[in-house]
Amino acid sequence: MEILNVKNLRKTYVKGFIPKKQLVLKGVSFSLQPGTITGFLGGNGAGKTTTMKCLLGLAFPDSGEVEYFGQKELTSQIKAKIGFLPERPYFYEYLTGMEFLKFYGQISTKLKKHDLNQRILSLLERVDLIHAKDKALRDYSKGMLQKIGLAQALVHRPEFVILDEPMAGLDPDGRYYLSELIKETASEGTAVFLSSHLLHDVEQLCEHLVVLTGGNVVYEGLTQKFLESMNPSIDISYVDSGVGKTCSVPKGEALQLKIRELLKSNFDIMEIKENKISLEEAFVNTALRKDS
Amino acid sequence: MKVISIIAYNTFREIIRDRVLYGLVVFALLLIGMSLALGQLSFQEQSRISANFGLTGIHLSSIVLAIFVGSTLVTKEIDKKTILTLLARPITRVQFLLGKAFGLSGIIICVIVSLSIVMLFIFLNLNMAIDYRFFVALFGIFLEALVLLGVSLAFSSFSRPILVVSYSVGLFLIGHWLESLKFFAEKSENISFIYFSKIISNTLPNLEVFNWRSLPIYEESIAFSEVFNATLYSFTWFAIFLTITTIVLRRKDFG
Repeated sequence: MEILNVKNLRKTYVKGFIPKKQLVLKGVSFSLQPGTITGFLGGNGAGKTTTMKCLLGLAFPDSGEVEYFGQKELTSQIKAKIGFLPERPYFYEYLTGMEFLKFYGQISTKLKKHDLNQRILSLLERVDLIHAKDKALRDYSKGMLQKIGLAQALVHRPEFVILDEPMAGLDPDGRYYLSELIKETASEGTAVFLSSHLLHDVEQLCEHLVVLTGGNVVYEGLTQKFLESMNPSIDISYVDSGVGKTCSVPKGEALQLKIRELLKSNFDIMEIKENKISLEEAFVNTALRKDS
Repeated sequence: MKVISIIAYNTFREIIRDRVLYGLVVFALLLIGMSLALGQLSFQEQSRISANFGLTGIHLSSIVLAIFVGSTLVTKEIDKKTILTLLARPITRVQFLLGKAFGLSGIIICVIVSLSIVMLFIFLNLNMAIDYRFFVALFGIFLEALVLLGVSLAFSSFSRPILVVSYSVGLFLIGHWLESLKFFAEKSENISFIYFSKIISNTLPNLEVFNWRSLPIYEESIAFSEVFNATLYSFTWFAIFLTITTIVLRRKDFG
């Protein structure tokens, strides 16, 4: 069963003193499978956060359908299966780390006090904040807030987690620990839906992608396929009359033709190397293609 | 109900840990303390002046709490975006609102109770008789604060805190002047003023209904039915304002 199935989501915001309509989502559709980590990519203003808010019932779409675990309504039972970390997390700064997680744990689970405490302590260990559990959140650094925010999203053992920019503001160590925690969460069967501008991290973490440009989904599928769809070129190094030369050809039939041609001309082929395209390049290419 | 009580407890904890509350309590204590000093100036009316000042202090602090803290109760959650993580949980918007309202009501009760304990000591010191009238007066203060909490919550669902405070203070003043307005309307021959007075009297809460602060001072009596009706009146207005807030919040986009 799909964790989430979004069909043709449209959302308009009315802004300004003289009300002006702005169509933010123009028919967004995609689905998520259990136990997968899906990257949600898009430039600023592409509609990522709006989509997430529509999924969580924080904003109301004009039209479209969202199915959660096969059900069409976002009931309290469904919400209890979802975790959420917003972008730039703002939390109750007067609470200590422990109180904060207890508060979210109590409203989301039916765990007994002792079991909930155990769960919180183990999460605090995992996000490396056990030393700060009795410290007020107002004294946490940005990175610490990001970590406690993730712990908050996971405290009730959700089956589906939405993370909006979870790596923002973290140092390399923090990003590594958080990546490991996200992988571990997915390996336990939780579907992770992650939005990030740090495309290197997304490439490392996400096996699936949903790419949003201008309120439309322009790609949905495997990350690997997305990269391959960019037609990365192949460099062929060969020796022509004692001089080393290199030529670039696109993958596929053109490559085969070029190899045959070089062999026919009795050139020595020294190396055939694929020019790997990064997710960042692939994303920029997609965005540019869409813009043009 | 569990969710509402958890949010109410968190709201209670939030206000308790806020310095503003202590500033307000210190202000009320100063006012009560001043009541003793002012009472000394009077030869015969010392206890009455002290009781009057003390009850006014409790009244003002509960109203200030209801209006000022109530005006930011929901808007703070929206501005600081804490509402996003909260409403993404198995919580309805009505439960959220009720939790916030009950949390602040709890604080108002605590402030009234703690300040009235100080008042009781002053009464004992002045050899004043303490009977049910004192507690009825305190109950009236709470009922009025409850209505004003509803008012500030309703205004805060569509307005900024500074305007919410202005509207709520306006309604507080009108609510206490309704009796005078009715009196002048009865004497007036101006038809439009009479109609205006009728409309205002029938659509806004009359806060003088809860003014029982003179009971312990002048040792007046009060019928149980009056207290019961006023309680019903306060709860009804509170429910009306909460319903208005809920209707506005129900379809609001957060972000």
